[in-house]
Amino acid sequence: MALNEHGTGAANGGAERDPRLERLYREAAREAPPAHLDAAILAAARREVGSRPRSLASALRRWHVPVSVAAVVVVSVTLVILVRDEEMAERPMQPEIRADISSAEKAAAPQTPPTPGEATSETVRSRPAAAVPRRQELRDDVRASAALGKGEDSSRAESGPAPSLGVGVVATPEPAAKPLPEPFRGASPGLAEERAAPASADTVVTGRLESAPAAPNELRSARPAADAAPGRLMAQSRAAKGAEQDRPPVWKGFEKEPPEKWLARIEELRRQGRAGEAEEMLSEFKRRFPEHPQVTGPR
Amino acid sequence: MAWNAESSDEELMLHYRDGDAGAFEALYARHKGGLYRYLLRQCRNAAAAEELFQDVWMNLIRARAGYTVQAKFSTFLYRVAHNRLVDHYRRSNQATVVSLEDEDGEAIADPPDERERPQDETLDAKRQAGRLMELISELPETQREAFLLQLEGGMSVEEIAQATGVSRETAKSRLRYAMSKLKRGMLEWR
Repeated sequence: MALNEHGTGAANGGAERDPRLERLYREAAREAPPAHLDAAILAAARREVGSRPRSLASALRRWHVPVSVAAVVVVSVTLVILVRDEEMAERPMQPEIRADISSAEKAAAPQTPPTPGEATSETVRSRPAAAVPRRQELRDDVRASAALGKGEDSSRAESGPAPSLGVGVVATPEPAAKPLPEPFRGASPGLAEERAAPASADTVVTGRLESAPAAPNELRSARPAADAAPGRLMAQSRAAKGAEQDRPPVWKGFEKEPPEKWLARIEELRRQGRAGEAEEMLSEFKRRFPEHPQVTGPR
Repeated sequence: MAWNAESSDEELMLHYRDGDAGAFEALYARHKGGLYRYLLRQCRNAAAAEELFQDVWMNLIRARAGYTVQAKFSTFLYRVAHNRLVDHYRRSNQATVVSLEDEDGEAIADPPDERERPQDETLDAKRQAGRLMELISELPETQREAFLLQLEGGMSVEEIAQATGVSRETAKSRLRYAMSKLKRGMLEWR
């Protein structure tokens, strides 16, 4: 007997159904529990909920999602605050400058002092590429240094405001792309002396460099590329000095004068108590008149 | 998270477990009629059915704290009811007659004698319903149970098998023979 032939068995896992029978049954089967039974059961259900404390497991199940979310938020906020505090604690130590100086020291340490003849622009441009990211900052240094030498002729610009140019040239590696302008390429042998002489803001940096063992003066222009960092420090200090740095050289106007006039002016400055300017002018005098008998003269 | 009229039985039970008595009221309203009729048809005794009915719900209420969704709620509810029925049969020494012949479908109760019915009698729906109830009460216990679980509990063959603790094929067979008998019994009334 094919029991499924009239039914809807496929819809019920293979069991046949008869809609007419079901409808007939539902029309007939209308019995319901008595009201007093309903009331008793519902009262018992309410009593059960009201009288017994909710189990711990039930409470945990209900609250575990919001509690988890709250815990994640608290941990995240705490971490953010801690990291921010650490950053704030390190900030007063000027981490950038410190990092610059330390990287400069690292870069300077393994370097072997080249011979004077090697301190060429080629040598300078073959510096490690580590300083490349600093290029823009260093160019700023160069520009600032060039501003110091404003007013000088081109021949003087070649050896120009020596400290800054020296640093700038060294710290601006141009890897075979764009050669530096001619005035910035090399450094004359007298450059180091000039840089050592004036008591400027560069003292911090140049002083450290000059303490390097047996470094020839000529090589100071070939300082490692990482010296770019102190260059930035110099630029900052220079900016602080402001007007003093922007003043024209003390020997301005004496370029065409004979040595005697220079010496007279130096003496005058000393008498006026302007020892720094006297020294500056004396340095320039020595550079211009190296053969003059007064070069090693009175101090 | 609140429940509403469209929440599933399981969601309502979880809300009740978590202390919402209103969810239980909604759940009770959904199932009280079907469960009561299932017990009533199986016991054939209103007082016993009421006692079992209350017992089943009280069991559910007491078990609420440990409730987890492991099966369809109706399957869970009717399994409790089935177990209570078995206990009831044992207490009342009422043997559950399960005829293998019934399971095989060959020794089905004889259809009503057509000669007892006037051929031209037009039966209204009420009389048809009465006849159907009579046929249902004549079904073997297990077949009647399968039929009632399908109609009152809205259960599938698999769920019927789970609720009564038998294999799917057994449940399907019981259901099939129950329907067959009912259809044959109602044939002359159509």
